Amino acid sequence: MEVKKIRTVLLVIALICLFASPALAERGVTKDTIKLGLILVKTGPVAALGLPDGHGMVDYMKYLNDQGGVHGRKVKVIWEDDEFQAPKSVAALKKLIHRDKVLSLITSGGSNQTIANMKTINKYKISNIPNALMREFFDPYQPYIFAMGATYECQYQCIVDYIFNDMKDKNPRIGVVYAKKEYGKIGLKAIRERAKAYGVDLVSELVLPTGAVDASSQVLTLQKNKVDYVITCGVLPPVISFLKTAEKYSYKPKAVFGFNWATDDMIVKACGKGAENYIGVNFVGGWADDSPGIKLVRKVAEKYGRDAKSIGLTSLYVHGIGASYLFGEAFKRAGKDLNPDSLKAAFETFRDFDTGGIFPPLTYTDKSHAPPEMVKFFKADVPNKRLVTVTGWRTPKKMK
Amino acid sequence: MAIRSKTFRESYYEDIKLFKTIWIKSWIGLLLVVLAVLPLIGDPYIIYLINISCIATVAALGLNILTGFTGQISLGHAAFFAIGAYCTAIISSRFQLPFWICLPASGVVAACAGLLVGIPCLRLKGLYLAMATMSFGVVVEYVVITWDSVTKGVRGIGVPTLNLLGYPLDSNNKLYYFMIVLTALAIIAATNLMRTRVGRAFIAIRDRDIAAEVMGVSLTQYKVMAFAISSFYAGIAGGLYAYVMEYIHPEHFTFLLSVQYLAMIIVGGLGSILGSIFGAVFITVIPEFIKGLAQFLTLLFPAIEDKYDDGWNIAAFGLLIMLFLIFEPKGLSGIWTRIKTCFKNWPYTY
Amino acid sequence: MNAGLMFFIQLVISGIALGCLYALIAVGFVLILKATDILNFAQGEVIMLSAFICYFLVTTFHLPFLLAILLTGIIAGLMGFVTERLVLRPMLGEPVFAVVMVTIGLSIFLRSMAGILFGHNNLVFPSPIPKEAVRMGGIVLSQTEIWLMLSTFVLITVFFIFFKYSRMGLAMRGTADDQDVALLMGISVKQVFALIWAVSFITAAVSGVFLANIMVINLGLTFVAISAFPAIILGGLESIPGAIIGGLAIGIIENLAGGYLDQIIGGGVKDVTPFVVLFLVLMIRPYGLFGKKEIERV
Repeated sequence: MEVKKIRTVLLVIALICLFASPALAERGVTKDTIKLGLILVKTGPVAALGLPDGHGMVDYMKYLNDQGGVHGRKVKVIWEDDEFQAPKSVAALKKLIHRDKVLSLITSGGSNQTIANMKTINKYKISNIPNALMREFFDPYQPYIFAMGATYECQYQCIVDYIFNDMKDKNPRIGVVYAKKEYGKIGLKAIRERAKAYGVDLVSELVLPTGAVDASSQVLTLQKNKVDYVITCGVLPPVISFLKTAEKYSYKPKAVFGFNWATDDMIVKACGKGAENYIGVNFVGGWADDSPGIKLVRKVAEKYGRDAKSIGLTSLYVHGIGASYLFGEAFKRAGKDLNPDSLKAAFETFRDFDTGGIFPPLTYTDKSHAPPEMVKFFKADVPNKRLVTVTGWRTPKKMK
Repeated sequence: MAIRSKTFRESYYEDIKLFKTIWIKSWIGLLLVVLAVLPLIGDPYIIYLINISCIATVAALGLNILTGFTGQISLGHAAFFAIGAYCTAIISSRFQLPFWICLPASGVVAACAGLLVGIPCLRLKGLYLAMATMSFGVVVEYVVITWDSVTKGVRGIGVPTLNLLGYPLDSNNKLYYFMIVLTALAIIAATNLMRTRVGRAFIAIRDRDIAAEVMGVSLTQYKVMAFAISSFYAGIAGGLYAYVMEYIHPEHFTFLLSVQYLAMIIVGGLGSILGSIFGAVFITVIPEFIKGLAQFLTLLFPAIEDKYDDGWNIAAFGLLIMLFLIFEPKGLSGIWTRIKTCFKNWPYTY
Repeated sequence: MNAGLMFFIQLVISGIALGCLYALIAVGFVLILKATDILNFAQGEVIMLSAFICYFLVTTFHLPFLLAILLTGIIAGLMGFVTERLVLRPMLGEPVFAVVMVTIGLSIFLRSMAGILFGHNNLVFPSPIPKEAVRMGGIVLSQTEIWLMLSTFVLITVFFIFFKYSRMGLAMRGTADDQDVALLMGISVKQVFALIWAVSFITAAVSGVFLANIMVINLGLTFVAISAFPAIILGGLESIPGAIIGGLAIGIIENLAGGYLDQIIGGGVKDVTPFVVLFLVLMIRPYGLFGKKEIERV
């Protein structure tokens, strides 16, 4: 009796397992709407990064709708908050696919969240542009991830190149201040190797945690080691802490460098004179640029009642508009017959596609979704409390 | 035959029986049937939520054994969970070992870590113990991030698909039954443990440790045992987490996760197996439920859609926790008992 | 003086400044702990909220800085009263665990309310304290740090006098010692609790205002409270002088670890060392450095 029962139960379970595989159906596209998902953090401490980015994405789609939509369809964006936690992000993607039935995601958020979602992304053909900039997203080729933005390696290589070639220092004393996150560790390694290629060793490698109250020990150590070029691998709050502390100890290295998550007008607003020697790199144009793309960004912002102050981190708003801009273009290219496959195919027709200065020109093919490995350099303009562009798009120099 | 009203037990054995009445048996049977057919009607979103609730349940059971039954507060549960997750991830990806080695190994390694913390912490009590375990959590986080060569540090580590005797469980729907069965096993094991001498010793230590020692309960032995069992559960839960997420990263196991586990067992009910389950499900599912509700409301009133701040969802969640505990400090299991007695004794409710 | 020694002294001095901040936060925790046995998990949120409130009082309402601080303190005090009345009073006599959990719920609630009310942008406090650092024989201290140390000192002295000599302070100490006896002696325990929460929140507000001067204001400020945890325990839970010494010790240890260990071991030992030290201290002294050993009756 007992054995029989168990056997029936097992049989039922086996049957259920068989039927449980979900059917792939057309999602998210009707005659007059396209449903798009968006997973980005909206609440909690990291929301300072997620909100301006997501607002940019949503605003551009609204702008697109107000221009008449794409091929008669209006875009509807459903924004899920993942609180920057991978399990919640996975839940959000499942909800977007199975409940809201979205066609795709504009972005799947940070690196951690995107990798956790990778399998679902591939299974349901979710073309998306992750916010994080990891090599793993396009190397090896991932069919539905369209990487946008120079990798951390590339950014830091460009920075080291800048020290040697633009600041013309043959034997610089370089120190690195990094956070123990992907970008920090990848950045540190990239800087170390690049400096080595120029024949220079790093003088100091110090950790600066994201929530650091002050950076006294770091600044004092750098000062003691007579470091002339400080490269920071951290997001805005710790870099601001660092610059403020450096100002306190009147530690004036020839330059303090930062990567894209720390290159925002905010840094000059927060540190004032302390940001004098700050040089940042970013793969999006600056808010104050005169390029047609950035003009569009400012126009969209104005249209939906936002200014630099209410946006917060403007560089991220520019990024958000850029990501949506790429999606808009892909929708146009995909034509009337829009589905996950045609969307992917449309993205893959981009050849040196020009966003008018929002992003560097980018190319996607069916073999590579690699981002354009290009950055611009920005310098602090202290009186006007903003960063100004000092170079055009740059790639790391080819080393012998 | 006597007419049975309220509890009417004739022997001590009846008091500790696993299923006390035929009703409990049939309710559990019904629950099992519902769980069995759920993948047929529920979408993968629901199934995923159940899966992570299962993981949370196993981990919460572990913490409840330590904190709820033995009275040793731990704020480092996420560390043991992380150890289990990393153990499964590392040995299954490096050596391609099957789950029936990985999962127990995760449990055992975590239990060893539990011993490592439990033994030096024997003299500590209350908040001092909480902080000592929290320190352990911070150290584990540091080690996981720094020890690149093994844990792959901040890049995170991928976990191969769980292979059940040649049948790959490569989606949440397929993992579902595996999770349900393991969780059920964990629940039964914990319930049984609490019916034995060990369980009673734990409770004695919680209620008055000195008195327990006087009565012949070895404090050292049982406290350390509680630590080991609790970490074992956390380790298993971590292993399951690794299999469900298929990718783990140090940021998944922060101090806030430890607080979350503590929240589960307190909201659910300290020293209650049922409470651990309720709490785990509550803390995992309610935020999603609130989110869905909010989305529904914005559909009803499209005017507020643009103005709606997702912060309200989380605020509502916080408020809900407070209200629940103000209303019933014994947690959800307290509410459950109250409802149950209300039905059982009806119409003589008082 | 040689450079190595200067480096050491400078590390210690800035460690003391940082330690004062930790001490201030720790005192906020300990006040509540001592009287009510509750670890208030929402303390970090109060710190963060006060930073925001002070910011908006100064920027949106254009109040002078001192008035803004005073108002922030008053608002925080009121928040303490309200919290005690609405959230903690109904929990009087309930198990400590449940009460602690309520504070966790409160922290979740307050954090998201802060996001809703004040937004998520990084804000920069227009600090009235001049940026120019003060130099004394090669030792550098920013003026904010000097103010921070002074206020900590003043606040601690006030507390000392208050607890030692005032009637209410005595009542508080009595309550902390034994609630039942205090009740029997005619102390209004409810009143004492309300006051304790208010005072603790005001202390948190002071640390919040200083944090606003030092750091960027955002929701992340709550986590500073967690870094003060070792300070509370190191000194011993029930002891205010302990909290201060614990705070200072943790500040100095953190800086020295950052200055020396980080270059040897690497990988950010700066923020782990306090916890390791805490763990070791607890192994030797299970009640912290100054905590009192509980004598249990069975």
